[in-house]
Amino acid sequence: MRNPPVQSPVSSLGERSRAASARASLTALFESMRPDLLRFAQWLARDRSIAEDIVQEALLRAWRARDALKDPAAARAWLLTIVRREHARLYERKRLELVSLDDALDIPDRAAAASADAELLTLRHGIMRLPIEYREPLVMQVLGGFSTEEIARELELTNTAVLTRLFRARHKLRGLCGPSPAAGAAPEEQPA
Amino acid sequence: MICEDARLLIGADPDAAGAELEQHLRGCEGCRALRAEMQRVNADIRHALEEPPVIRVARAPGATPAWREYALAAGVVLAMAAGLAVWVLRPTDTLARDVVTHVKGEPESWLGTHGVSAASIDHALKSSGIGLDLASDRIVYAQSCWFRGHYVPHLVVETTHGPATVLILRHEQVKARDDFREGGMTGVIVPAGDGSIAVLTRGRGQVDEVAADLRQQVHWLPEPAETPQTMHH
Repeated sequence: MRNPPVQSPVSSLGERSRAASARASLTALFESMRPDLLRFAQWLARDRSIAEDIVQEALLRAWRARDALKDPAAARAWLLTIVRREHARLYERKRLELVSLDDALDIPDRAAAASADAELLTLRHGIMRLPIEYREPLVMQVLGGFSTEEIARELELTNTAVLTRLFRARHKLRGLCGPSPAAGAAPEEQPA
Repeated sequence: MICEDARLLIGADPDAAGAELEQHLRGCEGCRALRAEMQRVNADIRHALEEPPVIRVARAPGATPAWREYALAAGVVLAMAAGLAVWVLRPTDTLARDVVTHVKGEPESWLGTHGVSAASIDHALKSSGIGLDLASDRIVYAQSCWFRGHYVPHLVVETTHGPATVLILRHEQVKARDDFREGGMTGVIVPAGDGSIAVLTRGRGQVDEVAADLRQQVHWLPEPAETPQTMHH
């Protein structure tokens, strides 16, 4: 029986250079997405320092599993999924310290409340106050760009359950979005 | 496609497009208006999410708290707070507050004016193993809601005095009726079977009659196993 050809344990300079270049571009890609990931994590965790830990851990995991990323164009969704799982893992691993949202949030003062941004701040607080089972699919859909089917798969829910959670999340926020341009033209209920 | 399905899709994804939905929208002014409204809401939500939430930083990064002192102080405060909470929040009060909080969290539940589909009522009741002898056209809102660790039917029933919200709580026992008035609502929790029934109205509506009727109309069926993928909170 013939032995397989012996491969040189020393890679060529060209191979090393290509590998280093690939690593550098992947690092740059990951780093370019850090703000997006952090924002996503903050909306999930509602705590800046926890969100930073989540993103750091997620990027480490992503780096270790970088061979699984075949298409750099899919990097954003892939990384967001890892961040979401890291948040879920953290959430399950330890009961996060509960703090009053009123203490944690920067509640607008009277001057701010009178400004045009007050409505936006109110809506942000409304989103923060949504229970995680509503906030998570909403943030995944709106911020992450995930489809209903992808969210269902990721959260291990039925499609109908995801639709219902998204529906309810929006309805809870609906009243915080100010008067409708078509005020008074609320849709008529029709018997099913 | 019926309005109920169209509204679920619109609320879940206001920008969703599909042949069936579009066909329904062509013939339904109400759903068209809802979609326009929800698209506006969605644009606001997207705008709100564009920036990270504004959260106060409680302590400087890297600063080491004197955790032993804090832990001791926090322990004393927590023990006092727990004792106070036990004293102040008797179980029925806590239950009433939870009921009010839950109902306030679903303001849209009061808005129904037409009977909901039999399938919706069936789902809301059967998820909790409840039977109800009540004309379905009087029920204008029916959901199976996650409440205190169980799925419970959350109904809004049209009465001669206006809408009344009903939560059928098979896992919440009360020794006697508990009347309460909170958050602009008048309510009562009455013992029923092995659990209880909560009835709430807005303002100073009549709850006694509804509660008495429901005690006669509710049947406690074998409870199904609860499945986490059930669709409501």
